[in-house]
Amino acid sequence: MTTATHAPAGYADAARVLDAVKVYGRGDTEVRALDGVSVDFPAGRFTAVMGPSGSGKSTLLHCAAGLDTLTSGAAFVGGTDLSTLDDRRLTLLRRDRVGFVFQAFNLLPTLTVAENITLPLDLAGRTPDRARFDRLVDTVGLRDRLHHRPGELSGGQQQRVAVARAFVGDPDVVFADEPTGNLDSRSGEEVLRLLGRTARETGRTVVMVTHDPVAAAHADEVVFLADGRLVDRMAAPTADRVLDRMKAFETGTGAKAVETDTGAQAFETGSGAKAFEAGTGDSASAGSEAGATRGATT
Amino acid sequence: MRTPATLRLTFASLRAHRRRFLGTFAAVLLGVAFLTGTLVMGDTLRTSFDAMFTGATRGTDAVVRSATVVTAAGEAQGTRGPVDSGLADRLEGIPGVAAAAPLVEGAGQLLAADGTPVGGKGPPTLAGNWIEDPALNPYRLAEGRAPSAPGEAVVNRGAAKAGGLGIGDTTVLRTPDPVRVTVVGLATFGGADGMGQVTWTGLTRADAERYLTARPGEATSIAVRAGPGVSQEELVAALAPALPEGVEAITGQRAAEENTEMVSGRFLDLFTTFLLVFSGIAVLVSVFTIHNTFAVLIAQRTRENALLRAVGAARRQIVTGTLAEALAVGLLASAAGLLAGIGVAAGLQALFPAVGFPFPEGDLIITAGSLALPLGVGLAVCAGSALLPAVRAGRTAPLAALRETDVDGSGTSRARALTGGALLAAAVATVLAGVLGTPSLWLAAAGAGLAVAAFVVLGPVAASVAVRALGRPLRGANRGLARRNALRSPGRTAATATALMIGVAVVTLFTVFGASLKATMDRTVDRSFAGDVAIGAPSFGAGGSGLSPRLAPAVAALPEVDTAVGLGSAVAEVDGRGRALTVTDPAALARTLDLGEVRGSLTGLGTDGLAVAADEAAASGLAPGRTAELTFTDGTRGTFTVRAVYERADLAGDYLVTREAWAPHRTQDADRLVAVAFADGVSDADGKAAVTAVADRYGQPEVQTRDEYAEASAGGIDMMLTLVYALLALAVLIALLGIANTLTLAVHERTRELGLLRAVGQTRAQLRAMVRWESVLVAAFGTLGGLTLGGFLGWVLVRASEGSGDSALAFAVPAASLAAVALVGLVAGVVAAWRPARRAARLEILRAIAQE
Repeated sequence: MTTATHAPAGYADAARVLDAVKVYGRGDTEVRALDGVSVDFPAGRFTAVMGPSGSGKSTLLHCAAGLDTLTSGAAFVGGTDLSTLDDRRLTLLRRDRVGFVFQAFNLLPTLTVAENITLPLDLAGRTPDRARFDRLVDTVGLRDRLHHRPGELSGGQQQRVAVARAFVGDPDVVFADEPTGNLDSRSGEEVLRLLGRTARETGRTVVMVTHDPVAAAHADEVVFLADGRLVDRMAAPTADRVLDRMKAFETGTGAKAVETDTGAQAFETGSGAKAFEAGTGDSASAGSEAGATRGATT
Repeated sequence: MRTPATLRLTFASLRAHRRRFLGTFAAVLLGVAFLTGTLVMGDTLRTSFDAMFTGATRGTDAVVRSATVVTAAGEAQGTRGPVDSGLADRLEGIPGVAAAAPLVEGAGQLLAADGTPVGGKGPPTLAGNWIEDPALNPYRLAEGRAPSAPGEAVVNRGAAKAGGLGIGDTTVLRTPDPVRVTVVGLATFGGADGMGQVTWTGLTRADAERYLTARPGEATSIAVRAGPGVSQEELVAALAPALPEGVEAITGQRAAEENTEMVSGRFLDLFTTFLLVFSGIAVLVSVFTIHNTFAVLIAQRTRENALLRAVGAARRQIVTGTLAEALAVGLLASAAGLLAGIGVAAGLQALFPAVGFPFPEGDLIITAGSLALPLGVGLAVCAGSALLPAVRAGRTAPLAALRETDVDGSGTSRARALTGGALLAAAVATVLAGVLGTPSLWLAAAGAGLAVAAFVVLGPVAASVAVRALGRPLRGANRGLARRNALRSPGRTAATATALMIGVAVVTLFTVFGASLKATMDRTVDRSFAGDVAIGAPSFGAGGSGLSPRLAPAVAALPEVDTAVGLGSAVAEVDGRGRALTVTDPAALARTLDLGEVRGSLTGLGTDGLAVAADEAAASGLAPGRTAELTFTDGTRGTFTVRAVYERADLAGDYLVTREAWAPHRTQDADRLVAVAFADGVSDADGKAAVTAVADRYGQPEVQTRDEYAEASAGGIDMMLTLVYALLALAVLIALLGIANTLTLAVHERTRELGLLRAVGQTRAQLRAMVRWESVLVAAFGTLGGLTLGGFLGWVLVRASEGSGDSALAFAVPAASLAAVALVGLVAGVVAAWRPARRAARLEILRAIAQE
């Protein structure tokens, strides 16, 4: 279990956390983002992590992926205990054994689509396997866009490039942090299908954080988090069942005053930027369309 | 500054972006400090020297001297004939005259305790008679006593220190005949250890007349002290009737003014101007640096400005706000620069004496002008550099607040390429017109200016092409990313590189010009020196005393030597125009120097014959058989017949006369060069050893082979280049700051990208390498541009100088030196990336990704 070797295919858990505690701040301002979570993400499965805003779901993902460190407890990718790795080896682990899809800004504006996809391999100095690359490109449906810059793509297309990049290095596990958060529902649907299909076709593990029951319904299993604790798991989820379960938590714990009837927007109380976008109603989809005609730097 | 709100925003922004203004601040500070330091030091030196002169010559109320002065072309100070020293006694009899003393002055190179020359690397090395009347003597005894017997000497304290000489020591004074002197006293000049680095040796009057003049009874001038109640003007009026024809009297004040004019007016002004030129270059480089910083800041602040516009800020308010920000930075940095400049001047004042340069004592002279000018320049540079970016900020559309900023594709427009191309074509055409046919320095300079403008305009267009080409060999993800980062805003890359380009261009210009001068010297010696060894007194500027005229005959008498010819210098007016003459044995000269084709005969010039170089002959309308009237410094005239016209004036000079012809008019006799040809069958080593043995008896001048002679002739160029490089280091430093600053801003701008890269597996070392490579690419582009521009300007300068020099300059490209310049440029890129790369690598991934 604690051997620091690459997990063989078919290994029980692609990633897992054990008694994970993450504390931000000190004293009065102390926030326990994770409060003793233990959860495993079985290999070859697509798992969604759900929970209201502040439940610790993003922190869990960041710590499980080696982007952040736990205050106590342990995080494993395959058989590797992340707490034993220094920054350099952690970076190499992310490069070689983990894939990422972020909510926004997944691509380097200076690189073409093809170069963005192979970025982790290029950083490792590896040459991409031609056949595998072609298959991946066809799966995400971007063959005619390979030599475009991200600025010339729509938001949905950009996320599909990000998905291709996440899978290009044949990682143990792909972590997706609200991958559809900035997309309109149709583009979001495409990306989710793509994630699921790629995971199943390549036999890879996907862990996705989302607040959207519809998104979570694409997963094989949903893990529910609230107040930094694992509260439930649900196999073969559907959007309705997930929504019901979420409502139950809201009323059950009473911890969060969330208007559950607004569905997907219910947990959207994150950064100011998100609030701004939420406030402008349909701007998310409008924005993603406009994205096709402008650069993506800030 | 229409409303306090604008001002408040300005200061809020300054506070928030302190770090981003660091580069701007430093660039302005350095430029202003350099400027202030130069001005303050110039004023202080000038005032101190003036005070020193005035103090030293206060007791002299009138100076009596020859009215005849001959100034050869290119000479700073004319040569005056002597006066009869007996005149002093006669003047003392005139009512109103308290005392009159003859001044006998000449060149006297003092040798140090170890036998090497003291000073002589620019400032004059002088000797004179020790004047008993303390009021008339500018030197004061500090230790010991005045010379009273033959062979006794007083030395100025600075020279004694430099030469390791003390009272009681015996050494040699080359006048240029070696004279053994015993130091009996040490003197000060105007309270300082010397008149700058001028060395001075005081002898008895008899010794001075014997060694420093052509014949006894001659004096350079006569210093006169007035009796009580007699003003300087009254004294001059009283002296006038007693003076023989061709002798004049001037007030002591005017004499002091003429002297200070020599030092302050020529040397110090030249020195200050020289430094000002380099502070100008530093300021020019800062302009590019600062402009670039503001341009980037404004681009980064598009959203902020758009928001201001959206909530109702007027365009003018945005512009004035931005300008106010620039002015505030400029004011702070200039103030700091003023202080730093004054500190530098004070430091130099303390440092100079420690390195043997007697910086006159006294307070620093800080005039309003030397504060106002740098301050004005600092503010103007800041405001001027920020003007365009500010106007651009004012044009921000309110809606830009809602848009993401674009990838900046500026600077590669067709219009720019066309304008730049046209400028470049105009530059080349103007330069060609200036250097082909009759060289015209003005046309060439105009062309050079156009070329600089063309390079600046074409920069962004060239940047994308050049970075792509330079980056092509770079393999690997990080280097590829670095290349693309450098390419993402060609305008910005070019602006960053331009600062370095200007610095490197100036370095290259001087390197090429220096190498060309050296090549010219080499060629000259190679072409014109037909002998085996040359004996030269190491002389640079006004220093040194030349060689004894007895040396050449002594060397010629050696069995190993076929011919030894001395070349002395003289001045005379030829048909009314001051000219330098070479006094030599023209018949023998042709055996050691290659004079090229000679029309007429060099033998038998006699006492009324002249040989003229072909170019000079053509310019003056002289030809074999024609006559020219020569006027000498002693006021006599003579009609000379041109007996020969020779082709090459490189080493021989424009006019040759015999020693016999010069003898009646000669002053202190000295040869500047003795050219020696060995007899047949004598080896170089044997010949050189024999000549050296003789030379040692004449004050140990250096005996040089042809190569050594050529090298020694070019020695001053290396000294000059070293100084120029040191001064240009500042400009390069400012350019470095510019690159570092732009990188820091870029890193800030790309925070999210860097976070993403780190997330998907870029190690810290890889990230640092990426930033470093970008910096190196920008630096390489700037260096390449600088080498090209500097090489071109150097070529223009060399070609254009042909018209103003005596002979054509050779154009040389010093590959090794330029490779070193290129290397320095690339290393500069690595150094500039140091801090930005470290900062970038320290980013926290999650925070970076979340960055708005």
